[in-house]
Amino acid sequence: MNQTRKRPFLPLAIAVLVGFQGCDFLDPTNVQNPLTTTDDLANAEEPTAALLPGLRAQFARAISAVVSTTENVSDNYSIHGTGINKDFDNPRAVTSQVANGTGTGGGGAYWNIQELRALADFVLEIATGDATATQSQIAEARYYRGVALVMLAENFSAAPVELDGAALSGRELLTLAVTELQGATGSGSLAHATLARAYRLLGDAANAVSSANSALALGDGFYNLQEYDAATLTNTPHAFLVTRALQEMQPLPRLDFLDPKFLSRAAGIAYAKGEEMYLIKAEAAFAGGDFVAGRAELARGLRLALSRGTTSFIDNDQRLNADLSIRPRDAAIKVRADDESPIRSGLVLNRNGSEVAVPELSSTSLDPDSVAAIPVGDTDALWHALHLARQEILFLEGRRMSDLGIRLPMMQREIDANPNINPGGPGTEPVVPGYIPAGETMDFFTPASPYGPDGTLLTDVVTVNVDMNKVLVANGVSPFLN
Amino acid sequence: MSPTSLNRKALLSGITLIAAFLFTPNAPPAAAQEVGSVVGTVVDEASGRRLADAQVLVTGTGIGGLTNAAGFFRLGAVPVGSAEISVSLIGYQRTTQTVTVAPAGVSVEFRMSQTAISLGEIVVTGVGQATERRALGTTVDVISAAEIDQAPVQNVAQLLQGRVAGATVNATSSQPGTGSLINFRGVSSVVGAQTPVIYIDGVRVDNDQSTAAGTGGEQSSALADLMASDIERIEITKGGAASTLYGSDAATGVIQIFTKRGTPGAPKVTARIERAYEVPELKYMFDVGLTFPDLVAAGEAPATLLADQYWRNGQAQTYYVGVNGGTAAVTYRLSGRINQTDGTQPKNGSVQYNLSGGMQATISDRLRVEFSGAYTRSSFDRLFNGTAIADPITTFEVGDALFFSGESTLQGALEMFLRPDITEEVNRFLVSGGGHFNWNDDVETRFTVGVDARTNHQRVLQPIGFTPGEPTGSLTRFNREFTSVSLNLATTWRTRLNDGLSSALTFGAQGFRDDESVFNANGTGFALPGSEDFGSAAEVSAGEGNSELFNGGVFVDEQLAVQDKLFIGGGVRIDAGSSFGDEIAYQAYPKGTLSYVISEESFMPGGDILNELKLRGAYGRTGKFPGPFLRDRTFSAIPFRGESAPSFANPGNDELKPEVTSTIEYGFDAALLDNRIGVGFTYFDAVTSDALFLVPEQPSTGLGNQLRNVGEIANTGIEVALSATVLNIEDYVWSLSGTFNTVTNEVTDMGSAADFNIEAQKRVSEGKPVGTWWMTHPVDTNGDGLADGSETQFVTKEDGSYASPQPDQFGAFSTQLTLWNRLSLSALADWATGAYVFDYGSVWATFNAIYRREEIEGVTFPDRYDTSGTGIGKYSQSAARRAFLYEGDWLKLREVSARYELPESLVGDRAERASIYASVRNLAIWSSTAMVDPELSGVTGGGLELGGESSITASPNRAFRFGLEFVF
Repeated sequence: MNQTRKRPFLPLAIAVLVGFQGCDFLDPTNVQNPLTTTDDLANAEEPTAALLPGLRAQFARAISAVVSTTENVSDNYSIHGTGINKDFDNPRAVTSQVANGTGTGGGGAYWNIQELRALADFVLEIATGDATATQSQIAEARYYRGVALVMLAENFSAAPVELDGAALSGRELLTLAVTELQGATGSGSLAHATLARAYRLLGDAANAVSSANSALALGDGFYNLQEYDAATLTNTPHAFLVTRALQEMQPLPRLDFLDPKFLSRAAGIAYAKGEEMYLIKAEAAFAGGDFVAGRAELARGLRLALSRGTTSFIDNDQRLNADLSIRPRDAAIKVRADDESPIRSGLVLNRNGSEVAVPELSSTSLDPDSVAAIPVGDTDALWHALHLARQEILFLEGRRMSDLGIRLPMMQREIDANPNINPGGPGTEPVVPGYIPAGETMDFFTPASPYGPDGTLLTDVVTVNVDMNKVLVANGVSPFLN
Repeated sequence: MSPTSLNRKALLSGITLIAAFLFTPNAPPAAAQEVGSVVGTVVDEASGRRLADAQVLVTGTGIGGLTNAAGFFRLGAVPVGSAEISVSLIGYQRTTQTVTVAPAGVSVEFRMSQTAISLGEIVVTGVGQATERRALGTTVDVISAAEIDQAPVQNVAQLLQGRVAGATVNATSSQPGTGSLINFRGVSSVVGAQTPVIYIDGVRVDNDQSTAAGTGGEQSSALADLMASDIERIEITKGGAASTLYGSDAATGVIQIFTKRGTPGAPKVTARIERAYEVPELKYMFDVGLTFPDLVAAGEAPATLLADQYWRNGQAQTYYVGVNGGTAAVTYRLSGRINQTDGTQPKNGSVQYNLSGGMQATISDRLRVEFSGAYTRSSFDRLFNGTAIADPITTFEVGDALFFSGESTLQGALEMFLRPDITEEVNRFLVSGGGHFNWNDDVETRFTVGVDARTNHQRVLQPIGFTPGEPTGSLTRFNREFTSVSLNLATTWRTRLNDGLSSALTFGAQGFRDDESVFNANGTGFALPGSEDFGSAAEVSAGEGNSELFNGGVFVDEQLAVQDKLFIGGGVRIDAGSSFGDEIAYQAYPKGTLSYVISEESFMPGGDILNELKLRGAYGRTGKFPGPFLRDRTFSAIPFRGESAPSFANPGNDELKPEVTSTIEYGFDAALLDNRIGVGFTYFDAVTSDALFLVPEQPSTGLGNQLRNVGEIANTGIEVALSATVLNIEDYVWSLSGTFNTVTNEVTDMGSAADFNIEAQKRVSEGKPVGTWWMTHPVDTNGDGLADGSETQFVTKEDGSYASPQPDQFGAFSTQLTLWNRLSLSALADWATGAYVFDYGSVWATFNAIYRREEIEGVTFPDRYDTSGTGIGKYSQSAARRAFLYEGDWLKLREVSARYELPESLVGDRAERASIYASVRNLAIWSSTAMVDPELSGVTGGGLELGGESSITASPNRAFRFGLEFVF
């Protein structure tokens, strides 16, 4: 080894290579996260404005998840296929382990509502340090926080709203929601309508009616749709109703004429509309004993619903019953709401590949004039009409399960991870009133399939086992009464 | 984007310093020398039989060669003077002789003694330096060139099947481009893939099981294009101390593949032509006679519609030509290979082109450099398999063919399901360069730098009118680019401390960087048939994913040898990685090993009963680093109604660090009965602490799951390897060998994580194996003895232990018979017991009121009763999933092969040697269930894959292969 030749090279080589370390090209340890990190967010020029679209998208997820979950738990739909856990057909079986999903399909309601609420909290926190945040941006974030709290209260008996938080009751959640929504009323009818829903759930008739009037004052035909994006964030219920091969969600036959309501992947889901305001006013009036005024409001709501019109839909429905027979799909089939109810035609549509007319926003089988003619003394009939109107007009919008008095448990993940939530504590078990029949009975009708093995129609009458609207009347179910 | 760099620049500085020192020129050029040749024969001492394929080397020169079928060798260009010649052959003790090479040449005969445990075999994996097996305190499995050349396999994963004690290798399917699930010593993680790390000539290569969009229960695998040709040797370590020097990358074991670099001498050309006939394995296919009996009875379709019109015998061919040779200073090897297969299903053809080369050059008496490179291009067609909607096999086998195709006849349905085109092309470059530098007789430095660059382009075209998919047509593209750059540097200082005590100290650095970029796009809605590009689609969406990862470390390893009988080793690797949390500076992996060749002690009785006995034990830690960027708190966004909509992504964890597996292992290797019986026994106890679990954040925070080091997983088991030479006389040699392995796997601690599922029905729960089956069971809720309810429960075996998709006992046995030193017959079978497998096909069949197991095995599907005891028909599939879970024991006759070395009289002067061979792969299957092939693993995506969830998927084909090989 020639020492005198070697020495000059070594320091030079070290200097060159060590110097190159500063260059990313030669530094293999240099990695770049392709996602936005906390440091990146701190450098955003208008962080509140940048985050608001995320809130809008999360709201869309939350509604999808609520509808996919609660419409099946209620008597509106039953599940036939593998896409949604069959347990959702049995309200008492929807434990915290079952309602433990994070997607927008069945079971992800809790997760997506909480994510909406938490993201809104985060945006509002960012906004406090964001000089570029505008009042309307803050109001929009407050609306989403408020509506998330209403959705929690509407569908869950109790839930925490912060890290390590104790479960807040529905009433506490709604009280928080009212505060947020009052801060968002500048955005138009939307916040008023959601406030009306919150006050209704609180049983506060005066404020519910006042908010409903405020919403209607801005245009009685108003409606707000959460629309979707066919490419990235689709209307999840539409998939279960139309696009998926097994079309897992099957409506109760008496609601068949309203199905599938969402006709495209991007179809909007209504989250506020004038009809609901009239129905809230009618319910408040009934609860207050003013059946004349209530009947009039109910008829207004029905007329508005019927004014919305229908859209043509080509349906070649392949849906099957649980016993693998074909769902009722002929207009010849008539339906009875229970075995004491009259036989009604026109509720089941022909679904043999021909065009059918289905509503995209609202419809009802009730005739406003007939309802207006119900004697005010027949309070049961009026209450029944109100419950049926809410069921039909707010169909596939996530109201029915709550109207039935059912509340879901928070997801198991919350119980496991939150030290202040314990199994058996508030909000951890499904809340199902005693008047809800056992198992999946709400979804049953007789015969389960009106068709023979060769597909011929054996009977033209199907009878729903239980008329839940009759049950609601019998048990005096209304937030304004309870 | 947020650039982050390790704050431990000292690590890289160290590497740079060593590299700078290394590359400093300091060696004089080699001087020309006079040379001669060494010729000779190698024979078996006991029988006098000439030994073929023995490796003959001139020590310290790199000059070497193999003996031919007559046991003859010739080494040219050996420097004249004294030379030490060593001969090694698997199953024999290495022997050396010193000869004096004259310009006119020298002749020598070697007589070799059989050994049952090969203590003299040299391995390099695990201790950072070439080491005799006698010094190892751990097991290192070796697959030799002779085994590899004779094995009727197409890729490395197939080669490992049945040849490595403690390994399970489960195929995914028969379709081209799919890989296998490989596991050593049990499942040690609940989040990460269990595939061992694979190095080829020192370069860490892509081993991802999921490199394209799934096509049902199958994924394209980077293992599928690692071809099993031109391999000199494979060394396998299964974690523990043997893998410690690979640090945070080694908990699942390390496979080192060394390719051939040529041997000195005149150019030798090897040409191989192979023809194969592939027959579909239809043992688990029941055809339409089962699922459409009414149509069959009506004469509208034959009961064997699929067998007649879908399945087919495919042909395959392989052409290989290679040349190798060189001088004492430079050797080379260059080869090309073409594989073409038709497949046993329509649209299942594949073509692979492979060009590879290797060389090594002695630059001076101190410096030797090496280079190897390979290019592989794979193209293949596939069909949807393992999906209930768009799959030609599944829809027919479960009775959905008419329903999902919308066709009125089975024939029409079959045509419908064959309409999609799924094609994929893979281009892969692998380059490795490095060298050895001897500072002096005691100090040597080795270095390797290399790159594996793999790109794959997948297109899934569903044409207009493909009703099971998007009726208006769709095109999905999935492009993935992966690059891994590796650097290895190690210096060994050997010294004799005193008489009988010697030391070998190795220190160095090793690291790699992975860059992965995935681009996927989907277009739907074509107006006109024939449209195959996105520009014609009504709607187009696209996405991408990128990741970058660095992991590296420095290590030191000391091996002390006492009297060449007692070997004490110790070492540590210190790692840093870009995936570690900010609070984690380094991760240390210590190890200690002990090996004692006790049979060489004078107090041990000699004789023919116990010929050799080595006791060994080791403790070592290995790691498995978390995935890229999982330490960061991040936000991600999707396009939503014309806006970019951000939301919370990863919650972030500053304390994220690798999972650490601590393994204690001990055992022995013994040669018995005049070296006719070899026994290897190993007990291992591996505990993975800081196991990574996806721990859910509280939903009220809006944050998802975060990877946290909270768990502990234990794997214990034994590995037994037996070999026996039953017969060893001049013209006949008959040997038997077998392995028997057990693994007991248990999640021993879940920290703060709640039970969670891996896939739909496999659950992680404390006190149970990873992925214990957790599914609905029919239950009797009112004690009337009749099942009326359903509960989700863990599945237990008859002995009360928990059932999982992983076998708890497995092994292989093989036999080889060599006649007249020319005809070699061999067979290999492997088996596994204790796993339970789920039959998704039968689940889906119930939607059509078909209860497949009742028809095939006569096992009644459970009936359901109401609480009053009235029968209400059969259970729904969702309420009685347990009825679709079966014991998954299997035995496969994996390989049967024959090879005949043609006599010189027949070959004449036209070639140096020639042989013909024939083989059958996957000849026969025995399984405890007739419903599914329990071996099939069902890969559904990245991360941990446990398999055992079979849909309707074709088993690996039965392949009859015939070949002819010439060496010129």
